[in-house]
Amino acid sequence: MEIFLAALWGALLLSGKLLLIVVPLVTLFEVLRYLPVFRRAGRAVDPLMRGMGLDRDAAVPLFTGIFLGIAYGAGIIIRVAQEKKLPRRQLFLMGLFLATCHAVVEDTLIFVVLGANGWIMLGVRLLIAVGLTAILARIWQSSPPADSQIQ
Amino acid sequence: MESSAPAIPERLRTGLFSGLQTSWKLIRFVVPIYIAVDLLKHTPVIDVLGGWFSPLMRLFGLPGEAAFAFIAAFLLNLYAALAVLAPLDLTPWQLTQCGLMMGIAHNLLLEGAVLGSTGTRGGLLSGCRLAIAGGAGLLLEAAHRLGGF
Repeated sequence: MEIFLAALWGALLLSGKLLLIVVPLVTLFEVLRYLPVFRRAGRAVDPLMRGMGLDRDAAVPLFTGIFLGIAYGAGIIIRVAQEKKLPRRQLFLMGLFLATCHAVVEDTLIFVVLGANGWIMLGVRLLIAVGLTAILARIWQSSPPADSQIQ
Repeated sequence: MESSAPAIPERLRTGLFSGLQTSWKLIRFVVPIYIAVDLLKHTPVIDVLGGWFSPLMRLFGLPGEAAFAFIAAFLLNLYAALAVLAPLDLTPWQLTQCGLMMGIAHNLLLEGAVLGSTGTRGGLLSGCRLAIAGGAGLLLEAAHRLGGF
């Protein structure tokens, strides 16, 4: 019984810590998301996005994914991807970036709660995502038959 | 993200509500997983199964038990992985390693399907994620051994 109570206590403690992260994070996002700063930030990273073979149309789904995560941002990603008729190459490049690097705030913080180093996790993930996407964009040049190139 | 922005108090309410809703969804399965793993620690199960995985996990500088967290991360999500990791008493560096690798590759079934529904190849991307997570893990372990941080 004592063992079970200790386990329950640990589980509740972890739940409390998760509450302390998730609730303020989601609230802050909801309050800030309408600020024009976000649109301006989009312009600032334009050159970096071009380096990864992505153009402006990909910015909203990309940033939604980076901050909110694929599962949560799915609606926006699917809608924008279809509305803007993103070409297959851009969709895959964006997918590769987001597959390695999404929901970065939440993912990082929940491991920081346990005592991990957030800067290393965040930095390495960003570097890998930017690097790999840029490399693939170089290898897979735009417009030729989309599918056959990367099997 | 469109122009018609609701007033601040309403946004606060929306945020708090959806934050609590998300938390509840997570906590609902973090609690049972954490308790199960913490109780299993008092039995030989974790040691025995962890032993099978330890040669693989050692490549990344991690103990064999960490394999359970990876399975939870790949199939479920990071919260499940966290609930497995929390009772295992890893070092801060080992947790960083887990966070990096699992941050790259997690929730592969669901997220692969989501990425696929945008019109790209979800399965291929999930494979890439596993490979990238492995590569990143080997690199960080190498940096850890050489640089000693």
